[in-house]
Amino acid sequence: MSARQPRFNQHLLIDTTPLPSSIPPVPEIGSSSAPLLSASYFIGARCKPYNDDFMQCKTAANGTGEVDCLKEGRKVTRCAAGVLEDVNKSCLEEFRKHWSCLDDNNQQLWQCRRWERPLNACVFEKLNIEKKIPGAPENETPVHLRKRQIFAHSITTQ
Amino acid sequence: MGVPFEALIPYAVCLGMFGFSGAALSKIRHMQNGGKRARHSVDQWDRQMMDRDRRLTGFLRGQTDMVKAPAGFEVSNPWRLERAFT
Repeated sequence: MSARQPRFNQHLLIDTTPLPSSIPPVPEIGSSSAPLLSASYFIGARCKPYNDDFMQCKTAANGTGEVDCLKEGRKVTRCAAGVLEDVNKSCLEEFRKHWSCLDDNNQQLWQCRRWERPLNACVFEKLNIEKKIPGAPENETPVHLRKRQIFAHSITTQ
Repeated sequence: MGVPFEALIPYAVCLGMFGFSGAALSKIRHMQNGGKRARHSVDQWDRQMMDRDRRLTGFLRGQTDMVKAPAGFEVSNPWRLERAFT
């Protein structure tokens, strides 16, 4: 059906029919890209089982995942909304500084480590979530804990 | 014998012109991006996220950290249509 990207797609159609009432309504996440990127590792640490369930459902559904995996998707949305609410309640200032820096720097995490360290410390202390990069090799320091970021533009924001 | 500085004035003029135009272009880009540095190397994921930001806040570079989306957000993602070629 939707086998390729649409070409000449200047015409837009906004369909305002709501979902059928048999599907329980879950409020969508209202954060935009920079706060979501900033909180992504915390969401990943806390919501790992729901996210893995959803991804497994989508790969197993073989094309019909958009309709078949709505239940797992609702769980993912609720969990992520919970993490965001907790971060907003406890570490709002550090969170805001970090995502404003990310927004100014092309959403590149390595430019903003200076504001990421207090955010990680605050979240670990108040919410007990630690940022871990999945798939990182065990015998090296993870990238976010290194003292020198080799691609950062300036030394003051590393 | 001192440094012949009159001979270096044209270089200073050239540098100044380049610097001024560079600064002016940078300022224009800054204002176009809502007071932030311009995004570069934007791929399809980034385009999709910036489109979502525009649906959420009204600006392409607008950011917000609300937990719940505003009303009507779930239905505001448009279908992209194209004319059928027969």
